[in-house]
Amino acid sequence: MSNTSANILDIKNIEVRYDNVILALHDVSLKVPKGKVVALLGANGAGKSTTLKAVSTMLASERGKVTNGSIEYDGNTIDKQTPSQMVGLGMVQVLEGRRCFGHLTVEENIISGAYSRKLSKGDINQELEKIYTYFIRLKERRKSQAAFTSGGEQQMIAVARAMMAKPKMLLLDEPTMGLAPQLVAEIFNIVKELNTKEGVSILLAEQNTNVALKNSDYGYIIETGRVMLDGSAQSLLNDDKVKELYLGISKKGRKNFRDVLKEESLTKKSN
Amino acid sequence: MVDELLFFMEVLVGGLLAGTMYSLVALGFVLIFKASATFNFSQGAMVFFSVLAFCGFMQDFNIPFVLAFILAALLMVVVGLCTERFVLRPLMNASEDTVLMATIGLGYVLEGLAQAAWGVEVRRLDLGIGDFPVPWIADNLKLFISALDITAGLVAAIMIIGLFLLFKYTKIGLGLRAVADDAGAASSIGIPLKHIMLLVWSAAGVVALVAGCMWGARAGVQFALVDLALKALPVLIIGGFSSIPGAIIGGLIIGAVEKVLEVYIGPFFGGAIEGWAPYVLAIFFLLYRPEGLFGEKIIRRV
Repeated sequence: MSNTSANILDIKNIEVRYDNVILALHDVSLKVPKGKVVALLGANGAGKSTTLKAVSTMLASERGKVTNGSIEYDGNTIDKQTPSQMVGLGMVQVLEGRRCFGHLTVEENIISGAYSRKLSKGDINQELEKIYTYFIRLKERRKSQAAFTSGGEQQMIAVARAMMAKPKMLLLDEPTMGLAPQLVAEIFNIVKELNTKEGVSILLAEQNTNVALKNSDYGYIIETGRVMLDGSAQSLLNDDKVKELYLGISKKGRKNFRDVLKEESLTKKSN
Repeated sequence: MVDELLFFMEVLVGGLLAGTMYSLVALGFVLIFKASATFNFSQGAMVFFSVLAFCGFMQDFNIPFVLAFILAALLMVVVGLCTERFVLRPLMNASEDTVLMATIGLGYVLEGLAQAAWGVEVRRLDLGIGDFPVPWIADNLKLFISALDITAGLVAAIMIIGLFLLFKYTKIGLGLRAVADDAGAASSIGIPLKHIMLLVWSAAGVVALVAGCMWGARAGVQFALVDLALKALPVLIIGGFSSIPGAIIGGLIIGAVEKVLEVYIGPFFGGAIEGWAPYVLAIFFLLYRPEGLFGEKIIRRV
């Protein structure tokens, strides 16, 4: 509480329901310090996407609602804003599954990200050139229809498109989903570069715990809509529990998730 | 032999030009389908509503032609505004089927409003363009082609070029194409769906007014214009629901095919096959090319 201004995003005890009934988040609190990369980790259905959508206000279009708690972003309380207003405030979400505009060319996709800004043709070209310095691969493919590019390229388009809105903060929802390890590394390199060179704060939802933590400053682990564990990325990487549950490494060697669960239920019973 | 060829040409050209009248109606559907993936059942009612208002302004209030047209166009923008605010926005998260049903309801509201405001009698609309053969063409090319058909062809050409430029080269056009591809992603990068909806409904309203003028001049401004929506259906199936060039080409094909079939094959069926031949053609398209000639294929990488 002492230095709230150091955080660009401050989520306090939010509860989220879909259709007024389905409780998706029970109690999630997290902070993203200005200029840092924070990873939000957890399995399918843990509530990562829901948390991001609560922040970007994309929840409303899925009949979800923040029913408790508060979200502070860059001095604004997030309440009834629309996604386009949030983009105006400098917060852009890159949705899960890339979601490129398939019938538009790569370049048109990227330019569409500047929709919320009032830019002249010249300014747009200048911005484009700057974006292409991060996404060299996209420059070669600028005239292709986005639907015909590879999965990795589509992810780059989605991030490049978001960058055209000149965000202060990016919400990345599983940017490495379904990508080969080499591409995962390439995407994270770009994300790191954007973070350091452009000063964009990043909240990153990932299932790929290992890579995500190696590229983040801080991490939160959520399960069934609750924050279970948080700490600096380094401390989480060294945490035995995290190693066992999310990295598949234990002192006794590799084991799978089912074994861990079995062990846990046994210890519970004996208690 | 030459006479027969000339006669065929006349039927064909007449059909093609009449087809542009269908294209104009179909154009309105395409605009809305692109943005909201919904077949707008109220398009026919919008045609009726807009052209009746246009006639009403001219005939009941003695407003001059051009001013009345501008007023009617503005009225359609207001209709677009109200539709966005009172129909689409509350249904923002509803399924496409729900929106489809809402457009049927909207159609009834517009029909009722139009008749309540301007009465139910058939009105004559005189655009100053006769629906009879142009003498110059009749003399020099020996083809009998209606001046109204030629006008409709020109108007359709101007509109398609205008819309093409709007979508390809303007910012809001890019926004519309983005929304057409993925509304969720478009809103995530700050494209306000509200503005796009407003744009397409207003544009569809103005297109409806133009189509209404052409049809009203030919057949009288009357309730039957509402059923034009049904004529646009085979045009859309053939051309593709999401393609503007498709609406134009689809209209031309329907116009030409129905006239040629009517003249050459009609007698074997006892005539009047014009009414259903387009639907037969549409069924073949549904079977063998469901996305239409120009419809956007669902692109899937494999």
